[in-house]
Amino acid sequence: MAGDADVKRRIKTVENTRQITRTMELVATSKLKRATDRVHAARPYAEALHEIVGGLYSPELSEQYPILRRPEETKRAAILLLTANRGLCGGFNSNLIKQARLLIEKLRGEGIETELHIAGKKGVAYFRFRGEEIATAHTDVGDAPTSDDAERVVAPVRERFENGDVDAVYLISSKFVSAMSTPPHTRDLLPITGDAEASAADVYILSPSGDMILERILPAYIRNAVYTALVENAAAEQGARRSAMKAATDNAGDVLEHLTRSYNRARQAQITQEIAEIVGGSAALE
Amino acid sequence: MASLNVRVVSAEQVVFEGEASAIVAPAWDGQVGILPGHAPMLALIGSGPMSIERQGGGSDTFYVAAGVLKVERDNVTLLTEYASTEPPTELPESAVVYAEDVG
Repeated sequence: MAGDADVKRRIKTVENTRQITRTMELVATSKLKRATDRVHAARPYAEALHEIVGGLYSPELSEQYPILRRPEETKRAAILLLTANRGLCGGFNSNLIKQARLLIEKLRGEGIETELHIAGKKGVAYFRFRGEEIATAHTDVGDAPTSDDAERVVAPVRERFENGDVDAVYLISSKFVSAMSTPPHTRDLLPITGDAEASAADVYILSPSGDMILERILPAYIRNAVYTALVENAAAEQGARRSAMKAATDNAGDVLEHLTRSYNRARQAQITQEIAEIVGGSAALE
Repeated sequence: MASLNVRVVSAEQVVFEGEASAIVAPAWDGQVGILPGHAPMLALIGSGPMSIERQGGGSDTFYVAAGVLKVERDNVTLLTEYASTEPPTELPESAVVYAEDVG
């Protein structure tokens, strides 16, 4: 029967798809584990650095260092968007892109010029398709981002801020709350807003001097903010992919069940019909 | 006996964490030794080997490059861009700038 063969082929297709999504789910799970470890390993450095910068920062320093400058008004802002290089991870990339689009609209509505710096193939592809100008694009940051990757991504943006070409830098990435929850998040990367913490300058022996230390570690501080975001983003991507692939696998299972049922029903109907024909035939002979 | 609580942290991971009786680290202007009871201090570090004297004797050596050293109430935190038991084959770019500017 023609319908039979059709259903049989569809069952095979769905089985193949399920096989693939299940494998992707498993791969994402194991990558997620390693990515989460990296997120946790990156925290002590970020916390210690934050503490030191917070302790040394004082508003008077703003005039001395371009990286600390605080523009009175924002004329032009840079948006640093981090997305994944690959898809098949649910709404992960589109959430980030949407966040960026909304921010661009909001800034433009306020009369602020914007420029886009993107790391991740998906973000680059989207904005290129839309015909937006992309200031810098990085598509070579892998599953295990390094501090050097962060430096490459952030260096042009930092430079433009220091030169006064842009007055604010926003960083858009996914927060890694848990594997299930990875909301997109915008944070103000520059200008640096100092913490209210008391200045550490008078209790510590500073060698060579507070200014010098700050000048050295501020670039590291900015880079670390981006590094942390990259690492969290990588973990969030795997988390999102795992959820998406789990949903796909489950769904394939449902579809399979449905198809198998209609296949069996059709087969049963055919057998019943054949029996009826045989019985009918023999009855006619009597 | 008083001891130091030492952490050597790079951006990617915590390289060393433990008790020590003394450490010697390469500050921007030369080696600096830290013993328990040291005054609070923040110092830039250059590049070179740092040694951590273990409580029971013996020592661990790490190569570090660029970063900052913080001492506070016998807690020593060394934040660095490079930290490994192997000397770096090439210095991170920021560490080279260090050597020229600061040193």
